[in-house]
Amino acid sequence: MTLIQIILLSLFAFLALYLIYFRSRLRDRLIAVLFFLIAVAAVLFPDATTVIAQSVGVGRGTDLLVYLSIVAGIFAVLLLYGKISRCERLQTELVRELALRDASIPPRE
Amino acid sequence: MASSAVSSQRAGIACIENPIASGDVVSSYTTWVVIPAYNEDGSLREVVSPLAASRYRVVVVDDGSQFPVQRLLKGLNVSICRHVVNLGQGAALQTGIRYALSQGARYIVTFDADGQHDPEDIPKLLDRLVHGGCDVALGSRFLAGGAAVDIPLLRKIVLHVALFIFRMTSGLKLTDVHNGLRAFSAEAASKLRITQNGMAHASQILSQIERNRFRYGEVPVRIVYTDYSLAKGQRVSNAFNILWEILTGGIWR
Repeated sequence: MTLIQIILLSLFAFLALYLIYFRSRLRDRLIAVLFFLIAVAAVLFPDATTVIAQSVGVGRGTDLLVYLSIVAGIFAVLLLYGKISRCERLQTELVRELALRDASIPPRE
Repeated sequence: MASSAVSSQRAGIACIENPIASGDVVSSYTTWVVIPAYNEDGSLREVVSPLAASRYRVVVVDDGSQFPVQRLLKGLNVSICRHVVNLGQGAALQTGIRYALSQGARYIVTFDADGQHDPEDIPKLLDRLVHGGCDVALGSRFLAGGAAVDIPLLRKIVLHVALFIFRMTSGLKLTDVHNGLRAFSAEAASKLRITQNGMAHASQILSQIERNRFRYGEVPVRIVYTDYSLAKGQRVSNAFNILWEILTGGIWR
């Protein structure tokens, strides 16, 4: 088991646990900022990515960035999915409220 | 059965004057039939008419149909709730159930608008609630005494596959896991939270029955697959969709 495998699996586990138990708007934003800083650092110090990559068992810095990007991408998609679900629920509540308010009653015999 | 019919007739007349004073447990005034409908102009009036004239109260939930449902059901003794946009059968059922409960329903029956269900099965479901000690009565077309008239072979296969998979993931002992004909006591219905707007609501209802530990029972019912109900958006791919909804609906436990 190379170091990178352990790291990636831990990241997946962390993200899964985070999404289920530890969500908060602030933490979401902190994670976004973290990914952003890593991206900026990778651009500013490309040679550093190679050093880090090799220390965890990945051949090239670029490959390491790809792996991290995949994790970030999955995270973003899941956040968006959650947001869409919440939107749909709100929409349902609104439409239902209107339906119940404007319910028509049967005509008098 | 005969004696209860007579007593319910007497109670029925008393009901119209004073709904609270009815002596019959299955008071004709407090059983509500919820009919979700989306673009069912071909069958809606024929399905609703006999129910509207019966001793049950009826609410049709118009799920954003593209024609005026109120005009189609003109003169009938039904309440109508209209979703301004189409949300799905699950959402329509939840809206109808909310409405029925707000009107003081004692028992709630879910009934399809496409003509596949038989109104004669409703008393059987209610009997299970009233005398059978159940909180929920589920219709089953595969139970002895039930029928699936002219069911397309592919549909039959899909339903049996779904049943097989369902049995492995759920503790409920059922023979039909995708039947829209059900009856609930008001207490059970008020505990339902149908958040799946689409067809996955059927699985969600079942998993909520399990989670709430409702006393449930199955009742043989007659499902008729008319050309109309089959033609209306029922293609081969729909069998796949039903299976998908049932399987992925199992995620919402």
